[in-house]
Amino acid sequence: MTFRMTGPRHALRTLRREWRLPELRTLIAALLLSVIALGAVGTLAARVQRAVLMSAAELIGGDLGVDAAAPLPTAFVRHAQTLGLHTSKLADFPSVAFAGDRSQLLSVTAGDGAWPLRGKLIVDRNRPAHAPPAGSVYLDHRALVSLQLKVGDHVQVGGMDLAIAGELQQQPGGGDLVALAPRAVMALADAESAGLLGTGSRARHRLLIAGSMSAVDAYRTWAKANLPADARMVTPEEVQQRLSVAFERAGSFLRLAALLAALLAGIAVALSAQRYARRKTDEIALLRALGASSRFAFGSLAWTLAVPAVLAALIGAGIALGFASAAFAYAHDLLPASAQRAPLPLGPAFAAAGVSLAVLAGFALPPLARLKSTPPIAVFRRTAKRTPRRFDLLYALPVLVALGLIALETGSWKIAGVLAACLAGAALFTALLTFAILWLIRRYAVRLNPALRLGVSALTRRRGLSLLQSCAISLGLTALLLLAVVAPALLDTWRSELPSDTPNWFVVNVQTAQRAGVRDALDKLGATRFNDMPVAVGKLVAIDGVDVERVPFRGHDVSQDAAQQLRLSWSRVLPPANRVIAGQWFAPDARDAQVSLDVAWVRRFDLKLGDTLEFLVGNQRIDARLTSIREVDWSRFNVNFFVMLDPAHGEALPHTWIASFYLPPGHAGALAAFSRDNPSLSLIDVDELLDRARQIVGQVTAAARWVLAFSLLAGALVLAAALTMSAAERRHEAALLRTLGARRAQLRMAALCEFGLLGLISGVTALLASAAAGAWLARAVFRIHAFLPPWAPLIISAVIAAVVVAALGLAGTRKVLHTSPLLLLRR
Amino acid sequence: MHDGNRTDMALISATGLGKHVEGPAGRLDILDDVSLEVNAGETIAITGASGSGKTTLLGLLAGLDLPSHGSVRLDGHALEAMDEEARARLRLKLVGFVFQSFHLLPALTAEENVLLPLELDGTPDAPPRARDALASVGLRERGAHYPYQLSGGEQQRVAIARAFVHRPRILFADEPTGNLDHHSRDTIADLLFALNREHHTTLIVVTHDPAMAARCARVYDLLDGRLQAHAA
Repeated sequence: MTFRMTGPRHALRTLRREWRLPELRTLIAALLLSVIALGAVGTLAARVQRAVLMSAAELIGGDLGVDAAAPLPTAFVRHAQTLGLHTSKLADFPSVAFAGDRSQLLSVTAGDGAWPLRGKLIVDRNRPAHAPPAGSVYLDHRALVSLQLKVGDHVQVGGMDLAIAGELQQQPGGGDLVALAPRAVMALADAESAGLLGTGSRARHRLLIAGSMSAVDAYRTWAKANLPADARMVTPEEVQQRLSVAFERAGSFLRLAALLAALLAGIAVALSAQRYARRKTDEIALLRALGASSRFAFGSLAWTLAVPAVLAALIGAGIALGFASAAFAYAHDLLPASAQRAPLPLGPAFAAAGVSLAVLAGFALPPLARLKSTPPIAVFRRTAKRTPRRFDLLYALPVLVALGLIALETGSWKIAGVLAACLAGAALFTALLTFAILWLIRRYAVRLNPALRLGVSALTRRRGLSLLQSCAISLGLTALLLLAVVAPALLDTWRSELPSDTPNWFVVNVQTAQRAGVRDALDKLGATRFNDMPVAVGKLVAIDGVDVERVPFRGHDVSQDAAQQLRLSWSRVLPPANRVIAGQWFAPDARDAQVSLDVAWVRRFDLKLGDTLEFLVGNQRIDARLTSIREVDWSRFNVNFFVMLDPAHGEALPHTWIASFYLPPGHAGALAAFSRDNPSLSLIDVDELLDRARQIVGQVTAAARWVLAFSLLAGALVLAAALTMSAAERRHEAALLRTLGARRAQLRMAALCEFGLLGLISGVTALLASAAAGAWLARAVFRIHAFLPPWAPLIISAVIAAVVVAALGLAGTRKVLHTSPLLLLRR
Repeated sequence: MHDGNRTDMALISATGLGKHVEGPAGRLDILDDVSLEVNAGETIAITGASGSGKTTLLGLLAGLDLPSHGSVRLDGHALEAMDEEARARLRLKLVGFVFQSFHLLPALTAEENVLLPLELDGTPDAPPRARDALASVGLRERGAHYPYQLSGGEQQRVAIARAFVHRPRILFADEPTGNLDHHSRDTIADLLFALNREHHTTLIVVTHDPAMAARCARVYDLLDGRLQAHAA
């Protein structure tokens, strides 16, 4: 039987005993933690995201929509059917309805019998329905009141006589805050035969599809490639901007927490690998002396790590899936019914395994790669170990891996930059502080008490190691403080931004003459936080004198958006949840018209301060210069506008008012009466939206606690790994000193001094770095401007952390103090 | 001491070897113009004070390191002309090592330690040969033991089994008895010389032990970096 010794075989043999080595165990535990943290968060985030999308699908009436000015080619329906998807067609258009001598402009939706595919069309009292059969129509309360009709009567729409089959309560896509006209729903066949959808009509056609995720994804890809010029896709993602802002932040928080756990794990891996590499130097030298090739030597080393690492990564992915499922089951009730069937995505857990293996490779490779060039002569002389400079470049690898990881997990180079800069700053600060302290020690140590001198000189003797230890512990503590103290404070600040009396109702279409009356009536009902803003409906017609239809925008979508109707408002003071990020808010006595835009709008239409925008409102034209750019926090549920004019020029335009207010639950009856007394007003309930946003915040807070636990474990691993790095030397030294007559108390004092200093350095660094990172993240990423680092808990935690470092270090030396020096020296 | 007549058949031939290192006090010459020829089956002892460069010389002769100047030919191969990978292959075929501190791999059993050179070379029937080698050093029953479960003398016997299991033509021993008690010393020395006798293995021993040196055919002293033949 012949077999050549291969790297894997040698690795497996070695592993049989080496898996007990503390550094290998730390390495594997760190990897496991990293996979679990990244995997559980990734899986949960992906699943909740799908769930939120599914509930958003209710709002557009399907999983995906294609909107067009003309009916879509039949291929669009056929392709959906071949993919096994359900389809439904509808059209939206304005039409004037007549009843006797009354008329009213209606916003009509004409749907086929399948509409809606998702979400609810509700008529009368909570009766779910589909589009009415041919010959009938549903009208909403405002339409019935203004036409003085009731259910069962007849109404003329597009020249057809239709029976009113029910009162429309709710329809998918009915959440438009400033719907100007009362609503009606009729059969698509009627609309077609009445000629309401023909050329020249103002109808928008929509094809809705619904079905399995994969089929919808496939359809999306196909439709994108075949989209007619005048059509656009309508996805649930873009429907609920406010919900998604809340969700994105939630995801960012969780991912950040998981990411820090992974980075901590990376540090633990790096430290353990360093120590493992030192342990393996003799073995590599021996193998080389016996005639093994350097490839074999390095290969076996790599396999020794790879085999348990891959196993741990797979196990970690399994555990992550388990955790994510448990968390999802726990949060099940909080999700809307349609979202509860969101499938468990497997991708993120295995991606986490891959990412963590990359972290392992990136952090462990540098010290191990150096071993490759161990000369065989090192078998006789340890000093012969070379540290070739060509491997120095490898130390950039962990940094690159960390950066890539941050960017990958947060999906944002901004967060990546902020975090990386803060962590790099922390490392640099630690290095400088350590250098300074070591310099001071060398200079002044002679004057110290001998036991203290012994302790501090231990730091200067192992200068490189001391530096590495203090950097690792500082980074570890920084990440921990960031997670344990700063992140919850960020979460609390965010939560307090959505107080329980956040406006939950909007009332639109208030005429200037009605304004005071509406306010009084609502006050009497017990409404609070009443806030109203003027709103004018118009269009953007020119930019810098060029007609918008001729402005070369980036893409068809943008041109379409530019041509759409828009709502303008004005105010003397900057509205809450708005922040001017460029230019100046309106001066009180502006002579020329000025406009302030939301930054998203500025970016979409490629505008800059000083541009002149021409708006058409009613039959008035207004030329306004762009004088300020705002950042609007859309998650705050206030009335906000993309476009704001200066009040002097705005007030001259024809306008109505939109008001928001908070009304505690249990006033539905009174509000219904108010609505009946004011048929021209539209009341919009945003409670559900608000509740969902609050639930997401709640879920995130709960989930963040779990992730935090992983990160704490990873942090403990870093501490353990950093402190055991010098354990062997320390043991040997202490034994030697004891042999020479040192007393236990002296050695204890020396250890206390050494670790006390390490604790102090890392505590101070972690305190400053985590506060800085927190403040920066709050502003740059989470757009929380009122955030103040929680100084008191931070200082207390930093002191505790420093004490724990010192205590752990001391505990590690305890064993040494109580063992016979002879035994230690023999080892 | 060298003899020009032997050059053609010398297994090891070192000419004008020098080794120096740069230290804090400037250049330090460890070896200076050392020449030596060793024939197959010979036994050579190198003695000298601590730090005299014995181990350095052993490392150069075995191709573990390269001299600052001079040349070493091992079985006709000029070591300085080969790269480290090629020298490793040559060592695998030609050389066995016994070290003062045994250098067994702690994660492998005694038998697996002995198997190492065979398996590195892809030798057929490796396990029975490793067991035979262990048996011949009197450790047939200890094959499954890990190094930490063996005494110092037993560990060195495992190391000897590992050194000769692949029938190398040269055995380099660096203070093989330095860490052992009297009784174990004799056992190890007996084993090494038995190998030399039975398999015609060339034995080069670096030692402080006069008794061990006395059993070798030639004894050299390293003094001030130069090799001197010991007066018999």
